[in-house]
Amino acid sequence: MEQFLANLSNELFKLRKRKKYLVFLILGCVVCVVSALRVLLVNFLTDGGVDPEAVLGNLMSSNLTFVLLIFLPLMAVMAASDLFVSEQADHTIRFALMRPVGKGKLFFSKALAVFVLCAVDLGVMYLVTTLAQVVLGGGTAGILTSLGACLLDLIPLAVLILFFCLLNQVGRGSGLTVLLCLVCYIGLLVLGTYLPAVGGLVFTGYLRWHNLWIGITLPFFSLLPRMGLLAGYGLVFACGGYWLFDRKEA
Amino acid sequence: MDTVLTLDHFSKIYPNGRGARNITFSVERGEVVGLLGPNGSGKTTIMKSITGLAQPTEGKITVFGAPAADRERALAKVGALIEQPALYENLTAQDHLAMAARYYRDVDRARMDQVLEIVGLAPYKKERCGKFSLGMKQRMGLALALLSRPELMVLDEPTNGLDIEATVEIREIIIRLAREKGVTFLVASHLASEIEKMCHKVLVLHEGEMLSFDTKEEALRLHPSLEDYFLAKVRDKKGSVIL
Repeated sequence: MEQFLANLSNELFKLRKRKKYLVFLILGCVVCVVSALRVLLVNFLTDGGVDPEAVLGNLMSSNLTFVLLIFLPLMAVMAASDLFVSEQADHTIRFALMRPVGKGKLFFSKALAVFVLCAVDLGVMYLVTTLAQVVLGGGTAGILTSLGACLLDLIPLAVLILFFCLLNQVGRGSGLTVLLCLVCYIGLLVLGTYLPAVGGLVFTGYLRWHNLWIGITLPFFSLLPRMGLLAGYGLVFACGGYWLFDRKEA
Repeated sequence: MDTVLTLDHFSKIYPNGRGARNITFSVERGEVVGLLGPNGSGKTTIMKSITGLAQPTEGKITVFGAPAADRERALAKVGALIEQPALYENLTAQDHLAMAARYYRDVDRARMDQVLEIVGLAPYKKERCGKFSLGMKQRMGLALALLSRPELMVLDEPTNGLDIEATVEIREIIIRLAREKGVTFLVASHLASEIEKMCHKVLVLHEGEMLSFDTKEEALRLHPSLEDYFLAKVRDKKGSVIL
């Protein structure tokens, strides 16, 4: 466990030292704030006729589609590529491979570092959006519900990250692997949208996992197969990714 | 003397047919063993396999009694520098050492400063490694290898890119650590003179095959230099005169 945590710290340190993640986080926050500023526009157009709480209530929940389907997957693709395929390409992966740490611990600590990065980003965006909602007069409606939604959505996000980590073991060049991840991800999203029958079987269909739990909740037993499906995907991606990582030579 | 490293009928063949075949030797504590051979003779392949960067096709490698595949036990007391050092361009020398230190319990800030002093990079510890010259990167690689006070050091062309002064310094570090601290070294080089100046034993490799494994004294008993010894071994293998 000690070696796992040591490597996790190192992976997070490397991500922290790359400015692009901070820049992307700021951009994401700006998008969230801009979405809140629409209340000013609505107020202007209606001459103050619309209650800000009606427009801004539950702001984070309405921003979650952008955050979960666009922002966080992009961050995950970049981070996974930086920690796996880029390091393999420039041989910096040897830095960790020549240390007394098992390959399993290396693989999963890298995957966890990507997850932590995305979780922190989600947390920051939640805070910024909530702050914008309160400051612009949207009140505190839906703040706790949004927090619950964010926490629930971390589960399919973990599966998505494992999927990207797996693809990073297949690709060779950094650019090509990022492209492969994006094409696969968009392909699965489109497949789920236009073929609803398939959509329920593909893990990307569950990225807004909170929809199943918050609002119109389904009976627990009808959710069990979906939980099993997501867990199955996660297991397959984790095992496949680790297997390929273990076979790779630096 | 106890055995630190054993290769038993080790082979590693790459898809292109290159690599190393049927290598068997062992290294005792405190020895400085040189792997001598031209480019493509299998030196790096052997070193990569010892440090877990490559997996053997056949045979087995034991490091401090643990199979090389058991990375946590096998690499616990190993420091390595294989080919060019693995350095992150955007991180400083200090960052690299701090990251490496996390894997070991007994490495503190004083030790980090100490290894930077040893390799002569102390004044540059806050500079990004991307700005380092080839020689400085090589020194940084050595500092990272030395950091954990390893009992076995695996160095692949450690003086690559270094000037004459630095080459001598590195050689002296190796000799001193072996003599005073009992550190075992496995050093690869294609320069016979370099191996001759610092090694107790020499293993000659050619086209992936092990041609001999002798003490330096034994090698120099019948030949005026290791260079002649190497050429004689290659000549024996080919069965013809090499000019």
